[in-house]
Amino acid sequence: MPTTSTSTSTSVTSSSGSSRELMSRLASGDPEIKFKALREIKNQIIGNRTKKLYFLKLGAVPTVSGILYRAQVELPDDNIYSKNDSNRDIIIQSAAVLGSFACGFDAGVRAVIDASAFPQLVRLLGYRDDKVVDAGARSLKMIYQSNLAPKYDFLQEKNMEFLLSLLHSESENVTGLGASIITHSCQSIAEQKALCDAGVLEKLVGLLEGSLSQRDASLESLAMLFKDNPDVVLKFAGLENGRPLSSITELTKDRHPRTRLLACICLISIRNTSPCYLQDVGIKTRLVNLLLELLDTPDQVGDDASFAFSSLIAQKEDLQKLAFEANAVDKLFNLLQGEQLHSKRLQGLLLALGNLCSKLESCRSRFLSLQVLELVIDSLTNDNADIRSAACICLRNVSRSIKNLCAGYFMNEKIIIPLVQLLDDSSVSVQVAALGAVSNIMVDLATRKSTFIQCGGIKQLVQLSKSMESTVRSNALWALRNMMFLADDKCKEGIFLELSASEIASLICDPEPLVQEQALALVRNLVDGCVNSVEFVFAEDGVILDAVGRQVQSASKAEIGIQGMYLLSNIASGNEFHKEAVIEKLLPQVDKEADCFIINFLRSNDSRLRTAAVWAIVNLTFPSSPGAFGRLIKLRNAGIVSQIKSMVNDSCQDVKVGSFVTSSVVIIHFSPCWWRCMIILFEAASCENGAHTVNGLW
Amino acid sequence: MGGNRCKKDRPAFVGIIFTAQHYQQRAPKQDLDRRSRMPVRVVENSAPSHVSDANSGHTSPPACSLLSVGQAFSGTQNVSSLQKDEAWRVNVRIQGCDLDNGYLCGVMEALNVPMADTPVVTFWEGEIVDTKNYTFFTGKWEATPEDDIRHWTKFPSFSSLLSQVKVDGGKSLDLSNCPYIFMRWKERYFVNVGTDCGLTIAGFYYVCFSCSDGSINGFYYDPNSSPFQKLELKSTNEGRFGFSFSSYELQ
Repeated sequence: MPTTSTSTSTSVTSSSGSSRELMSRLASGDPEIKFKALREIKNQIIGNRTKKLYFLKLGAVPTVSGILYRAQVELPDDNIYSKNDSNRDIIIQSAAVLGSFACGFDAGVRAVIDASAFPQLVRLLGYRDDKVVDAGARSLKMIYQSNLAPKYDFLQEKNMEFLLSLLHSESENVTGLGASIITHSCQSIAEQKALCDAGVLEKLVGLLEGSLSQRDASLESLAMLFKDNPDVVLKFAGLENGRPLSSITELTKDRHPRTRLLACICLISIRNTSPCYLQDVGIKTRLVNLLLELLDTPDQVGDDASFAFSSLIAQKEDLQKLAFEANAVDKLFNLLQGEQLHSKRLQGLLLALGNLCSKLESCRSRFLSLQVLELVIDSLTNDNADIRSAACICLRNVSRSIKNLCAGYFMNEKIIIPLVQLLDDSSVSVQVAALGAVSNIMVDLATRKSTFIQCGGIKQLVQLSKSMESTVRSNALWALRNMMFLADDKCKEGIFLELSASEIASLICDPEPLVQEQALALVRNLVDGCVNSVEFVFAEDGVILDAVGRQVQSASKAEIGIQGMYLLSNIASGNEFHKEAVIEKLLPQVDKEADCFIINFLRSNDSRLRTAAVWAIVNLTFPSSPGAFGRLIKLRNAGIVSQIKSMVNDSCQDVKVGSFVTSSVVIIHFSPCWWRCMIILFEAASCENGAHTVNGLW
Repeated sequence: MGGNRCKKDRPAFVGIIFTAQHYQQRAPKQDLDRRSRMPVRVVENSAPSHVSDANSGHTSPPACSLLSVGQAFSGTQNVSSLQKDEAWRVNVRIQGCDLDNGYLCGVMEALNVPMADTPVVTFWEGEIVDTKNYTFFTGKWEATPEDDIRHWTKFPSFSSLLSQVKVDGGKSLDLSNCPYIFMRWKERYFVNVGTDCGLTIAGFYYVCFSCSDGSINGFYYDPNSSPFQKLELKSTNEGRFGFSFSSYELQ
């Protein structure tokens, strides 16, 4: 961190002039005045965002950048031993001012980069004067803590050499800069590998033994090197018989909260990348407890702890259970109740709560019993988009419970009105997060979704189903599909009219597979229930059914085939007209087996697809329907009956049952003596090789 | 919902007859059909999306389309007493199913209940006996292992499992290829009436579901109610000429 002035002169105080006056003094030809002005600005802006912003508006950054440039021209490295000490001091002070502007302040980083000060600071690293190098390194470190810093290309040999020279430096700030560059810029597997191959891993391990700042910088960089790269983790775990891994574990007990946090983040990165490590319940419990403790830290450590906690427990039921046992829900609730939480803290706490409630019903129950919901609802209308999004994610995960949905906890105006408003949010990520929550809440089977409909929710969802963003389209359809689940006729008709048959057909044929899948699932639910619902797919000259036929035939993934086959199966559970329409789609060219997609589905390795296909056949040959025999002949001619016959012993019980039902139907139709065949079927089924007996009937 | 004693025997089963040999042996490996897309979804689908051989060694019950979300059943609960024969018409709808966690839930609607003005709807949660999440021994709700055995043996399909269940509650059984799914259904709350409706939901049901024909048989157990009230349900197709399946997906 840039420190407060170390100059022996203490006569310069903030009262020595206004900010404008200070700016004018920067233009002074007297190096002493210029130096003092720089130092004064630095002292005023350290830790003071308001002052930073004020000086930014006065154009301080380009001015200081210009001063640094001119001082460098007048004092190139070769002249380091010249008598021009004032220029040297100006260089150091200018670098410190620029670093201070960049420290924790993105607008400052942007200004420094825009003023072309970045390459000037890099040039300082080549000086032989340690203080100049240190000043440059310290400022660059500040810049590299921001996402706005330029990306460093490790894959260029020259750059890698330079980075290694930084890491090999004896200066704490220079090695820290090297580590910061890695933390900031190492993103791809190729970069991680290149860094490892160059020996960076060993160097960072060495820094773990260094000063506090070197340790922290090393921990941060190591976490980035481990991220999603099991090879790096494996190599690290094997270093020095696992001593570095033990060192990091030990650092979770360090007296400095930031070091403890960074050690936790490093261990989380290892575990998330290679779950075989850190399986011991002791270390898992320690990580949970440590992070919960660190949440109490008021500064950035406390903010970051909530995100680290989320990363630790996300998608891991065992860790969520440990967190629940450590009263994490209560803890997060208490923290959320704090006054004047700043944005990042609030966002982190909401996400942590959301992750905690993503799997365990016990966490959700505790959440609801503590009235946390009220606080989450308040955050839905926060000015900050990240907070609105986090609140939606939290709500989505808490509502991921059919028990709570059936209890009607979420379908009320306090939740629905702000959620519907968020569907129209200016941020796409907020829209998608809100759609996630809406999708779950729409499964509410008790209140028939009337609150949502009255708020104009259907119109909004239909509008979003036409979005240019495919994620928005698929999520909007997801919500409509859930809403359509066991919906009453009025609700179904409302959605259908709002969407229109032609729009549904075009969504079924959407270029994005996820959209296709959700559109098919929506129609599947639409035609379930009252048999009259099947008529929906015949509207507008059967445009929907035509689209389904085309899409199922060319299904690009199993999920599309599954939804499509259940949809056709539901239509085939209707009347004769409906069944005939389905068989036409299933057997477009009965004499060309290669084109008969249902055969492929019945032969699929995916048992879900086989099951869906079998149910369609069951419905087409349903015994009490008059045209069943004719359809059975068509199916037999297409080779489907023999395929079904071979599936009676399918490894999937569900397929087996469906095949058996179909088999028995076949027997009913083809045998002159219905009962005799049923008896044979039962006898066949009761003996071990019963299928052979059944097969013999064909 | 508690009522009175039932004297009727279970009717003859019409469907596919499986012997113990069919399901006591280890099942052949199921297809790897677990969804793996991110973000992880909680799938409530009539398709058997939870069955996986990824965690071989555990014995998930077979996925069954007829026991999936949205499926409806209707039948009776016999609440006859020594004084009079009585049966309530009962409708059941499955609303949630998570085979991995041995969880099922839904609503049960009792019609023509004498002391109620309207049909009485309750929300229930089910424990699927999969020997991973739950065994045949209840271990709660005032049910002793003896109570459990006494009720389970009422189901003919249980007979071949009895000896092992007596030893360890069935923990070592492989039910993955069993054509029956054994469950306990516990009513949690009344949906449309208050707790003062005169009915009790203190007990729970021992339930046996047949994968082959979608029939459900059950016995209500509550130490303070008439024993062995029999629940008999059949899968309904709600006026359709075939079977239809809805689905939803929680995000």
